[in-house]
Amino acid sequence: MEGHQRNLYLYDRFNARVVGVSVDDVTTLKYWAKSLDLTFPLLSNVTGFLGESLGVAPSGEIKGYPVFGRRTVIVDRNGIIRYVRDGSPDFKDILLFLKKLNQEGGRP
Amino acid sequence: MKRKGLMILFALLALVWVLGCATLQQPSEKPYRLSERGTLIWEDEFEFMVPPSGWSVVQVESGGEFGFGFLRRERGEFPSQSIFVYDEEPFGGSLKLEERSEEFFKRYLWAAAISMNLKVLETKRVNVVGGEGLAVIAEGKDPVKKEKVRSKIVFGKRGERIVSWYLTQWRHIDGSFDPSAFEVFDKFVASFKFLKKSFYETL
Repeated sequence: MEGHQRNLYLYDRFNARVVGVSVDDVTTLKYWAKSLDLTFPLLSNVTGFLGESLGVAPSGEIKGYPVFGRRTVIVDRNGIIRYVRDGSPDFKDILLFLKKLNQEGGRP
Repeated sequence: MKRKGLMILFALLALVWVLGCATLQQPSEKPYRLSERGTLIWEDEFEFMVPPSGWSVVQVESGGEFGFGFLRRERGEFPSQSIFVYDEEPFGGSLKLEERSEEFFKRYLWAAAISMNLKVLETKRVNVVGGEGLAVIAEGKDPVKKEKVRSKIVFGKRGERIVSWYLTQWRHIDGSFDPSAFEVFDKFVASFKFLKKSFYETL
């Protein structure tokens, strides 16, 4: 998440916006955003419906709550998913993709 | 007979070629090389002075990216050692030096999973890699683990982004800090050059 924060000025340049999605509750996310000085929105997605809509299947459950792996998804202005990568975000790859998408006119 | 001799010669040449490849491959695996000027060039991207003997190369992960630097184990009780590093992605996200310094200290030494109660002793504006920079000196102690640390962090700019160089010197809580490591670090920073644009500058 800190990597995304560092790249916000470049996301702006490529007409992109970043949103973090987590199954953590709002209080936890508020604390987390403050501790990392994050200024972009974080969505609390406790039931996991948003993850499932983006094709992220729960990898397990802890006390009845779904647990999701990390996934980076880039959605274009038409709502079409253009980029999906699992695991830790590859920031350079993301930036190159956003640059290309912006040049093509398919603003994220 | 002549044919057999030629085959042996060919086999030897092939062996020499294979061995030659193996020997040539070894140095190319190292991320650094010596320049004609006697400086060290790291991945054809950075150039700086070669540290004195006793300092060994280290690669570290910091802020999600790999940095590199030099480590010196020193006399005295554990954990007597100094390490200085060039870090392309220091903790924090701000593009402003003072703000980034504040963000940085919220997480600095976090990976060591210890509480050093770090206090900033000095902050001053400096010139680094031909541009504006900020040098910060901080010290901390952990009375439980009986360790202390003295750090110098220099924040500078590479294009729009903030990069850093930092030295961390660890000592037993009753030990004394060694200024010679800080002198080596200052020379390392002063000699540092970017040989090409960073990935971010090419976007």
